Formats: sequence, C-alpha cells, structure tokens
Amino acid sequence: MRAYLHSVPEPILTINGVTKDYPAVRAVNDLSLAINRGEAHGLIGENGAGKSTLMKMLSGLERPTAGSITFEGQPLELRSAADAMKRGIAMIHQELNLIGELSVADNIFLGRERTTLGLVDRGSAETAALKLLNQLGSNISPRTRVNRLSIADQQLVEIAKALSCEARLLIMDEPTAVLSERETNALFRVVNQLRLHRGVTIIYISHILPEVRRLCDRITVLRDGQYVKTVEPREVDDADLARLMVGRDLGELFPQRAAHLPDTVLEVRNFFVDGWVRGAGFELHRGEILGLAGLVGSGRTEFAEAIAGVRRRRSGSVSIIGEPADIRRPADAIAHRLAYVSEDRKLRGLHLDLSITENTTLANLRAYGFPLLKAAARRASAQEHARRLGTRCATVQQRVSSLSGGNQQKVALAKWLDTKPNVLILDEPTRGVDIGAKQEIYGLIHQLAAEGRSIVMISSEMPELIGLCHRILVMRNGRIVGALPGERATEADIMHLAAGLRENRVA
Amino acid sequence: MIQDKPNTPSAPRFHWSDVFETWGGLIALVIMAAVCSLLPATRDSFLNPENILNIINQKAFLGIVAIGMTFVIISGGIDLSVGSMIAFVGGLAVVLMKKIIDSSGTEWLGVLAACAIAPLAGMVLGWITGLIVSKGRVAPFIATLCGLAAYRSAVLVLMDGGGESAFGVSSFEAISSTNNGIPLLNWTDATGREIALHLTWPIIVFISIAVLGQVLLSHTRFGRYVVAVGSNETAARYSAINVDRVRLITYTLIGLCTGIAAVLLASRLSGIDSSNTGILLELDAIAAVVIGGTRLSGGRGRIWGTVIGVLILGMIDNVLILASVSTHWQGLVTAGVILLAVLLQRSRSE
Repeated sequence: MRAYLHSVPEPILTINGVTKDYPAVRAVNDLSLAINRGEAHGLIGENGAGKSTLMKMLSGLERPTAGSITFEGQPLELRSAADAMKRGIAMIHQELNLIGELSVADNIFLGRERTTLGLVDRGSAETAALKLLNQLGSNISPRTRVNRLSIADQQLVEIAKALSCEARLLIMDEPTAVLSERETNALFRVVNQLRLHRGVTIIYISHILPEVRRLCDRITVLRDGQYVKTVEPREVDDADLARLMVGRDLGELFPQRAAHLPDTVLEVRNFFVDGWVRGAGFELHRGEILGLAGLVGSGRTEFAEAIAGVRRRRSGSVSIIGEPADIRRPADAIAHRLAYVSEDRKLRGLHLDLSITENTTLANLRAYGFPLLKAAARRASAQEHARRLGTRCATVQQRVSSLSGGNQQKVALAKWLDTKPNVLILDEPTRGVDIGAKQEIYGLIHQLAAEGRSIVMISSEMPELIGLCHRILVMRNGRIVGALPGERATEADIMHLAAGLRENRVA
Repeated sequence: MIQDKPNTPSAPRFHWSDVFETWGGLIALVIMAAVCSLLPATRDSFLNPENILNIINQKAFLGIVAIGMTFVIISGGIDLSVGSMIAFVGGLAVVLMKKIIDSSGTEWLGVLAACAIAPLAGMVLGWITGLIVSKGRVAPFIATLCGLAAYRSAVLVLMDGGGESAFGVSSFEAISSTNNGIPLLNWTDATGREIALHLTWPIIVFISIAVLGQVLLSHTRFGRYVVAVGSNETAARYSAINVDRVRLITYTLIGLCTGIAAVLLASRLSGIDSSNTGILLELDAIAAVVIGGTRLSGGRGRIWGTVIGVLILGMIDNVLILASVSTHWQGLVTAGVILLAVLLQRSRSE
C-alpha cells in the first residue's frame, strides 16, 4: 500500500453551479464546490440546508435541475444508485441499508453475487469478505447474520461493502449518531486509514461539530440550499461553525442555570432489570435537571423505561412526593404525572403517518371527552403546544412524517407535555436534531424546570449534560457509579466514570 | 429565543393523487353506476329504486361483517374465520330455536333466543381469537385460519353434514323479508306489478352499524387507539395504550358483527347449510375493506370506504346478472375492479 500525501490538492469531485428544484422548493441553489482527492471533507448545515439533496445527486438518487458535476475528470451523469457504485461512489446512509436476515458476506456482495455455474459461491464470497473486514481491522465473521451485530459493526459491514466495489468516494451521513464514544473512535481510525492508505475521499455529514472538526481536513457550510463557506478546522471553533450554519449569532447555547428547590419529587430505589440494571436509584428535586450519562449499553434507557413502566423490573420502588407509586404500566406513569419521552422517536416516540394533532393528544385522550372526543379541543391543544414549542408546520393536521427531525422531536415532547407531567424523563432529546432546534429544546427544558417540573435527561452528548444539568449521574454496567455537580463536571470526569477508570459512589 | 426561520413550510400542495387516495372508491362507484345506467343492456333495469334496494339488501350481511373487518385490519390484524363463523353461530341459533319451539311450543321464545345467541356466540368466539392473538402472540393470519377450519368443522358436526331449516318459523323468516321494515314507496315493476318497497331490516342494521362504526373509529378514544396500534404498535405501547386490549376488542367486535349478520342471513336463507353458508365470505369482506381505501397493513382506513367497497361488489354481481353475462365472468371482473380501486388509491408517500 502506498501512502497518499496531500501535498498537491487535486480535485476528485467538482460541483459546478448545481441547482435542484422540487415542486415546492429550491432545495439546492447554484452551488459550486470542489472536493480534493484523499481528503475528509465535512459537510454541515441545519436540516433543510440542502446537504441530503446534494448527496442524493452524488449517489444517483436525484438528478440536478441545472449545473454540472465532474468526477475524476469525467462528467457525472447518474441514473441510479447502481450507476454511482459503478463510478466508484458509495454512500452510507443514516438508516443502514443492510438486510438483517442475511449474513455479512451475503450483504457485502448483495446484487453482485459471485457465482459458479449459476449458483452462488458462498465460499469465495466469505473469503473475500473476511479479507475486506480484516483490512478494516475487524474480526466479525462473514457468516454472522447481520441483525446479530451491533450498529457499529453493521457500519463496518457497510464500509466493507463500499470497498468491495472499489469506491473512491465514500459519503457518510451522520454515521456516529448511534455510536458510543469508543465506537466512534474506532470508526474514525478506520476512516483515517481508508483515507491515508487507500486514497479514499470522504464526505462526512454530521451535526456533531467537535467530531467534524476532529476528523475533517476541510469543512463546508451550507445554508438554505446555498454554499456559505469552506473553512479549515483549526481556524474555527464550534461557535463559529454554528454561527455560519444558522446565519446569525446564536448567543449562548445553554440558558443560565437557575437554582432548584430542595424538596424531593421523585425517589427511585434499588432498581433491578434483568440483563440491564443492577441496583440503581436516585433522588430528584423540584425544578432540578438531572443528567444521566453513560456509554451505550450501560443500562440508562432500560433504567428509564423501567421507571416509566414500559419495561418490566425485577424489583425496585418509586415514590413521588413522598407517596409510594406502583408504576407497572405506562398508564400508571401518566396517572402519577410522570412522562418518559423515548429515544428513537421514529420507532417508539411517534406515529409518523398520523397528524400532529393525533400524536400530540394520543397519550392524553382521556382529557378530550367521553364517549365522543372533542375534535376542536384536540386541535386547539395541538396548536397551543406547537406555538409554545415553536414547531414549524403549515397546519396541525399535517402528517408528522413531513416534518424535520427537530420539529418531530418537538411533537414527541408535546405529546408528553400534554399529559401535564411533574416529572419528565427525556431520553436523547436532541439526537439527530440541528443546532438551532437544539438550542430551542435546551431553552424549553430550562423553562420547564423553572416552572417547577423536574427533569431527568439521558444523553450521550456530554457538553449538553454539563451545560444544562444541576447534577450528572453516571451509569456503568447497570449501576450508578458516580454523581457530579453540573457546573463543575468535565467531559473527562464523566468519561472516567463511564468507562470504569474511577469510582465515585455518591448517589 | 430564535425567531421564525424563513424556511417555514408552506401548506401542502394540491395533487390529483391525493384526491384519488381519499375519494378513489367513491369515484369508482359513481363511474360504475353511470356506465351501468347508460349501457343498453342494463339501462332500464339498473337505475331504479327496486334494483338499488335489492343490491344493498343482498350485500347487507357482507357489509356488516366487513365493518368489523375494517376495525381488525386498521389495527394491523386480519380475520379469515368469519365465513365459517357465520355458518357456525347461525347454525347454533337455528338449531337452538328449533329445539326451544319443539319443546315449549312458543315460537317467539325460540326466535328471541336465536337472535340473542348468535351475536353472543360470535362475541365469545371473537374474544377467544383476540386472546389467542394478543396474549398468545399467535399471528392473526394463523389464529384465524385455525378458526376458519374449526368453525366449519363444528357446524358440520352440529348438523351432521346437512342443514337446519327455519322454514315455517314465520316470525323468524320475517326478519329479513323484503316485505318488512320501513315502507318507502310503491313501485310498479317491469311486469306491471305494484309492490311496496321497504327499507329492510338487514339494510337498516347495516346502515346503523356503519354509522356507529364510523363514529366509533373517528370520534372515540378506542377508535383512535385502533389507528395508533395499526400505525406503529411500539409507539402506541410507549404512549400508554393497552395494545392487547385494543386487539382483543377489535376481534370481539368483528365476532359481534358476524353474529348479527348470522341471524339476518339465517332468516333470509330460512336456515343454515353447514357445508355452503358463508363460504369465501372472509375474502369478500377483505376485498370490500381494501376497495374502500383501508391499508391492508393497518394504520389507515375508514368505514364509509368499506360501505362503498360493499356497494361496488354488489353492483358487479347485479350488473352481470342484469346483462345476462355468465356468472363465470364474475371473478375476473371483481379482480379487475379491486386492482383498479387499489391502484387509484395508492398514497404518494408509499
């Protein structure tokens, strides 16, 4: 293998005045951009900035309305994703495109099966797959069924698939959104190796600005379908990037921390959940924002689900304002004014093909009349929540699937606010949400706490826990292994506890 | 706080496919009716009150079952057992009625018992199916396939392979008689005979159940839960909806509908034939639901659509008979209409 040097930047991809019109909007507007061979090029922008449309044009899913694209010196005119693959362009989507019931090798060579006398040659495919995976430093067996793999390993399979078709340009759309810190680091090692040793060019799309700055040689910012600026990571900080994305000064990302009241609202004791939680508990005070940190798999979500009655617990007790609360089903949690806003809003949080009104009032339909529901009251309530949360929609009768990630998250929040909770457990409330919407959600959480509601916030993004929470609990292996004061915690403190390098039994 | 961004989405744009998605079934019905009223072969015989009432009356039994089926399908389930169930609970009712009349000699007591037992038995059987599906975690297709086999077998055993006639039990036969119900108008038919047209009991029950069903689906908590469960079961469970109970109720509901239809059908046929009654009813019911624009995978649907689906199926049968086309063509025409209706109503987003 030879090492590629980027002494002489030579463009592999040139985008020249590209415009893409949809019936209702101009998604990309006269955009020009050059990507150099062998570089990792970050692409950032708010939802709706045109990143995905641009990537769809590069991967053959859409065709530009105007303008031209040149790849490796030749004009790029793609009719399908298969065309893009033939030209050496591969895209790894946020939702992985693997078939869970098939083996790793079958997935890697899907559509390009190696055959002998018309029969699929499993052996040769498995050997080839093993070689590719080894090059990526992975020890996954090519025979494993893909749905038995972790998300991180599935991503490696996708990368192996891209390599198997000799991809020279690899587009990655938010690959780390569902990865833990350790998995992210492993992925970055693979990406850097691809870049330096195989000369693969990477276009990297992400909302997580520190990661983009760490991985990429150059970063391009898009806004409202237009090119804004290309910068080098060392010239800018996160705040600069955020300002470029939003087009104005965001001010402080986190609201001023306010003191909470001393009385205990929620007391969780000695929770055990089979396979996940081994004796966890905490106290939550009125108006407090309590962070719950931990690696993916530490049992955070399972703990929260058990508290909210979504998941069965083996033992453990909950008391709310001093009274024991026997929460066994989600309906019990609502009756006790406790709400759990789930992670993974598409699967668990929302009914995507139902309207905003339908979603907003679903968990609280009892409040809208019996036997007949009052349609006007439901609509009014959905409108009121949309107004308060700043949900951007044309009408509340719109399907939730037509909203952006940030606005969908606001509908998920609205559904639970409609049950008038005293205690809110928010599981990854800002995942896959752009920076503007993030700031709005932080403001909202702060405001809810100021109204005297108590909040537990689960997050993998340590800066937001540090910026927002009064206290941060760290979970590891199903136990609370430490409690840190929000204003003095550092990412290193949290990581040490989460990874088990230090114990600090305070909680 | 952040002010409104310029990219606030505008109101959804107009698309013809949206119109068809919502109104496709109705449009198809109107077109078919128009064609039938213009074709020389059916011009005179199709569009008159007697024939229209006849179509609805013929399909009222199917319609009642199809309304129950709409709830089951919207919730993400399916029920293949209704054809056998209608024969079994109808048979049960007729056998019981005859026994009571024979032993007590009072006809009204037997008729009353028949009218009570069929809906009740239907509900119980539906409830059991619901338990198997929700608590037993058996796929609805499999659970109700077992019902299809079991109830048919049960009615064959009950009647020893034959039938049980209600012939001569006049007050039972009167229930579905075309000379009973709400008088509408006097009509002179093609032969010059003057007859009094009635809104028959099957039609009245069908319309009532359709109205109740639409209200239940659109305007009550249970109805919204049915949609939520069919659209995304996991999210429904996280939203504190008792998914098992919603499922249980939908199957109990279709059982009840089937039981009510069984009484009306037994009255109309003057009895139940253990080997023939209700054969393929489940497929007609599913066809009506799908023609009506309800998504077979659940999460979206409407009762009034199903009513239109039932009318379309009734119209196909009727027109082929009026035009003296061999009934052998019926399946081909039905298949074409189902495909056309479903193609028209495809959603843009799918």
